[in-house]
Amino acid sequence: MSNKIFFLLVVILFPIYGQQIDIHSPKNIKKFADFLFCDKDYLRAIDEYKKYLEVVNNDTIRFKIALGYSLINDQSNALQEFSSINNSSALYEQSRIEVLKSLSLSKSDSAFYLLANNLINSKSQFSNNAQRLLNTSILLNENELPDKNKFLIPFESDDKLLLGNYYDLKINPPYKSETVAGILSAIIPGSGKIYTEDYGDGITAFLLTGLFTYLAYTNFENDHQTRGWIFTALGAGFYAGNVYGSVASAQIFNAKVNFDFENGLKLFLEDKNFFTPAYDFCK
Amino acid sequence: MIINKFILVLISLFIQLSISVYSQTDWVRWEKSDPTYQKKDTHLNRDFDLSIQSVSDVIVKPLINAYWFFVSDVDGANCPFHPSCSSFLVQSIKETNPFKGTLMFFDRFTRDTNVFGRLEHYPRYGNNHFYDPISLYTLDKEKIKIIPTNTFINE
Amino acid sequence: MIFVNKKILVIILIAIANLHSQTLKDQFSYANELFNEGKYFDAITEFKRLQFFDSENQFSFQSNILIGKSYKAGAKFDDAIKYFTLAEISSRNDEEYFNSNILKARTNILRRTNHQAERILNELLVDTKFKSKENEIKYWLGWNLIFLDEWKKASKIFLENNLDTTLSNLCISVDDKMYSVNFAKYSSYVIPGFGQFYTGEYVSGLLSLSWNVFAGYLTVNSFIEDRVFDGIITANFLSMRFYSGNTQNAEKFALQKNLEISNKALNYLQFQFKGEKP
Repeated sequence: MSNKIFFLLVVILFPIYGQQIDIHSPKNIKKFADFLFCDKDYLRAIDEYKKYLEVVNNDTIRFKIALGYSLINDQSNALQEFSSINNSSALYEQSRIEVLKSLSLSKSDSAFYLLANNLINSKSQFSNNAQRLLNTSILLNENELPDKNKFLIPFESDDKLLLGNYYDLKINPPYKSETVAGILSAIIPGSGKIYTEDYGDGITAFLLTGLFTYLAYTNFENDHQTRGWIFTALGAGFYAGNVYGSVASAQIFNAKVNFDFENGLKLFLEDKNFFTPAYDFCK
Repeated sequence: MIINKFILVLISLFIQLSISVYSQTDWVRWEKSDPTYQKKDTHLNRDFDLSIQSVSDVIVKPLINAYWFFVSDVDGANCPFHPSCSSFLVQSIKETNPFKGTLMFFDRFTRDTNVFGRLEHYPRYGNNHFYDPISLYTLDKEKIKIIPTNTFINE
Repeated sequence: MIFVNKKILVIILIAIANLHSQTLKDQFSYANELFNEGKYFDAITEFKRLQFFDSENQFSFQSNILIGKSYKAGAKFDDAIKYFTLAEISSRNDEEYFNSNILKARTNILRRTNHQAERILNELLVDTKFKSKENEIKYWLGWNLIFLDEWKKASKIFLENNLDTTLSNLCISVDDKMYSVNFAKYSSYVIPGFGQFYTGEYVSGLLSLSWNVFAGYLTVNSFIEDRVFDGIITANFLSMRFYSGNTQNAEKFALQKNLEISNKALNYLQFQFKGEKP
């Protein structure tokens, strides 16, 4: 009788016991991987999820692998993994918008535009997200912009204001003209640099050119021919160098305008997480 | 003792949080690494170079090298920029031509003379230099790469 | 009958508990094996797995220490120090507390956050519980001084109680070879070029001396001939420039030579010294 009970207990408890101690069982591998994933230890989580996938076929896991790659900015692997999720999966729509984000980050422009339009026209759950990402990308990368009101339609009111400003900046960038800068400095030394808002350099250029012109003048007046010519050469050097420098300064000014514009929009995109949805994997 | 334990628990919580924030260390696989015990020598080692690659090198290089040897190396640290004014001249002539290089040099000298607003204008290089590379001034827009002023450059 | 059943049940439950603990031990040995093979990244994964399933925190201390050591081996010092601190928190006795702190100090030495290392070691030193470990603490204090470039102080520490004569001799010899930065600088204030001669930079010393004599002559001459403006200009743009350049150079050469000397010693310590290193 006692033997029977013993065997019964072993039979009942064995599976429980097995689960408890085999920390390399698929279920425990997944548990550990989930922990790593939520601890932002994505590369390790990916390795564990891959082990799990060898035994169990699961789209959520495949999606999390892809998301992990995307989060550690390995976009080529992310693209590959997201693309492996087929349209019967519950996470198919999410994977498509994530692919769009990865394409945007990996600068694959033609594929990006193709998919974005595809998503917008397919009336998917995330059509509006795709439209927002597409519009922001157009603002960032393209020269031809659609009509402002049409452009702003998909966005929420706060974003409308911000992107409206960026839109205006794109249409009328506050550039400084290289020609104007050059001509100004040719007329009054240093004024070109003041026009490009390099005030200190502009004033310095004016003083240096003025000083050497004055020195050349007084030396010629006192019949110091050699010194006169040396100062003339130096004065001419500063004069011409300043005209050149004013053109360069305008170019740098404009490059900064572009830099700030791009940087601002990129920060906006990051802030919005490229309009991808939030997931509750780590609740 | 109880207070100590409490503080330790607080520290532990803080560390747990900060580890999850900083676990980026492991976002790429890494191997064993033995960083050198030695300190880095940050002193400038002058690269005297008299090789002739263009016609202008025949005149410019001996002049510049002589200037480095007889003047620049013995008159103290006077140039606030990296590259220094003389290196700027050599490099700008190399990148463009003697005429344009000279204009760039005069323009650089103007910036060198102006002591105002440098902190807001240039990124930092090393401990006490401002970064003002040739690529910004060749008038080739493609070469202009904007670096925000609060960045520290280590080439 | 009921009594027998209870007995069997208890036996089985104990067996389960033991087997669970055995599994964790196996996992620990596995992770440890990876660590010993130098596969530090994977070792960390397995130690983390161990921690994840170790609900009773049986292995917290050892696993945190070994994760810290793995990061240290990969020169990820920030992470290493975090895990050594976690080990310190999960330490169960004075010995473990001491060991985790020593590891933290050694990592700080390597990370060149030497003042932190010094603080940790000094705290251990004043703790009466670790009186018997004074030599070990001082040994690492000595290493910390080496990394702080304080070779003379380091040699004294290694000499106390004959802690380590090899290291103390090495530190003395390094300190003997070092140039005095202040002497180099101030001697050049008195005689331009002197500091350069002292550090063996004869050409630079001669050039500095010549420039200073020449500029001095021009300046004095201008004033003698009543050309005050010229005098001020030459004094400002020639004399002062080369005079300050001269002292700057003397200081720079001494620092540079000292760096070469200490780097040579550090290189020896890293690759040829046989004793324990941070």
